[in-house]
Amino acid sequence: MVNKSDHEIIPVHEILKLKEVNELLESKGITLENIPKIFESDPQCQKLGAKPGHVLKIQRNDGGNRYLYYRVVVEG
Amino acid sequence: MAKSQQKARDFTVQYSEPVGILAAQSVGEPGTQMILRSFHFAGIESAIATSGLPRIVELVDAKKKPTTPLSTVYLEGAASKDIEQAEKIAKKINEVRMDSLIRRSVENFSKGTIKILLSKQELESEGLTPGQVSDKLAKLLKLDTSVEKNVITVKVHTKNLKDIRLTMVKISKAVINGIEGAGKAVVQTNPKTGEIYIVSAGSNIEGIITVSGIDKSRLYTNDVFAINRLFGIEAARNALARELQATLDEQKISVDFRHLLLIADAMTSTGTIKGVGRHGISGEKNSVFARAAYEETVKHLINAASFGETDHMRGVTENILVGKQIPIGTGSVKLAIKKEDMAKIKPK
Repeated sequence: MVNKSDHEIIPVHEILKLKEVNELLESKGITLENIPKIFESDPQCQKLGAKPGHVLKIQRNDGGNRYLYYRVVVEG
Repeated sequence: MAKSQQKARDFTVQYSEPVGILAAQSVGEPGTQMILRSFHFAGIESAIATSGLPRIVELVDAKKKPTTPLSTVYLEGAASKDIEQAEKIAKKINEVRMDSLIRRSVENFSKGTIKILLSKQELESEGLTPGQVSDKLAKLLKLDTSVEKNVITVKVHTKNLKDIRLTMVKISKAVINGIEGAGKAVVQTNPKTGEIYIVSAGSNIEGIITVSGIDKSRLYTNDVFAINRLFGIEAARNALARELQATLDEQKISVDFRHLLLIADAMTSTGTIKGVGRHGISGEKNSVFARAAYEETVKHLINAASFGETDHMRGVTENILVGKQIPIGTGSVKLAIKKEDMAKIKPK
């Protein structure tokens, strides 16, 4: 398996702890359904071993503008 | 510091700003100019990629395979400066199909053999010998092959016409050298930095990444679906926005990058790449009226009626349709009162 962690177009993915997930949902006033999805079969999910229901924290960088993005792992 | 932070905050988008509509209009308007201004530069590069409006349509409609797939392969270490090493790696990538090597082929149905005359010029330019081609064929298709000068004889242990024909088709499609789906690989030099890299006219980056000596962290292709398969949805989203901007930049049309990022975000929010049209984002809106107002009106209305769908009237389109105030900007502000407080108000 090829290590794809440090490709220039792949941002860093991280699995969020359950406590952090609850904090996130509460602070934004949303449910898991409102969060963008990522498939379990996605190469980044495979690498982290993320299972459906996990929330991934993605450290995005859009031309210098750094921010966090979240995706919930779904089956597929 | 505090002042610049405040300044940055002043420029953030206000609550209830219709960013999606702004993005659509900001890309749509320059798009109308692109039709008039589409022109081509002839013969500068070996492979001319689709550009202009056709390329934008291709990206936004989430076409599975681009019309002109291209991959950019950067090289690791010394090879990025040494043209000979780069050529060697390009040879490993460059896809050579059997049909490009065949000059003439004869199928003998009474003996059950196929004779293939190889083209000397093609063999030389690819750096192959007839023996190598024969061995590769024998290994790939498990055939009984023998070589004599430039002629390969294949024994098909059957006299069935159909089987012989089928074998011939398989032979002409066989990939003799390089990576299947990688296309023609050409070594190029960046005129500014002098860095040597390889451009191949295919998008099989899953195959190309297995070649040794390439810089895996910079491997790139214009096929967003291939990127999704190899690097994941987040990388595909970045590639999508990047491709859109590259296409617009080529035509000297400046659209703010954030509009393109928003489009890319919307297209990838379901975990896979969805087009924006009838089969994608617009076709999956929650509101019945919004879908009916877009395309296939009768189909959506009949389906909604027969399944008893509910429309919560939360979007823009459906509210325009019934003549209500749209939930954008000031329109999104609603007046609410708590039940307990309501009881306190006494009617006069």
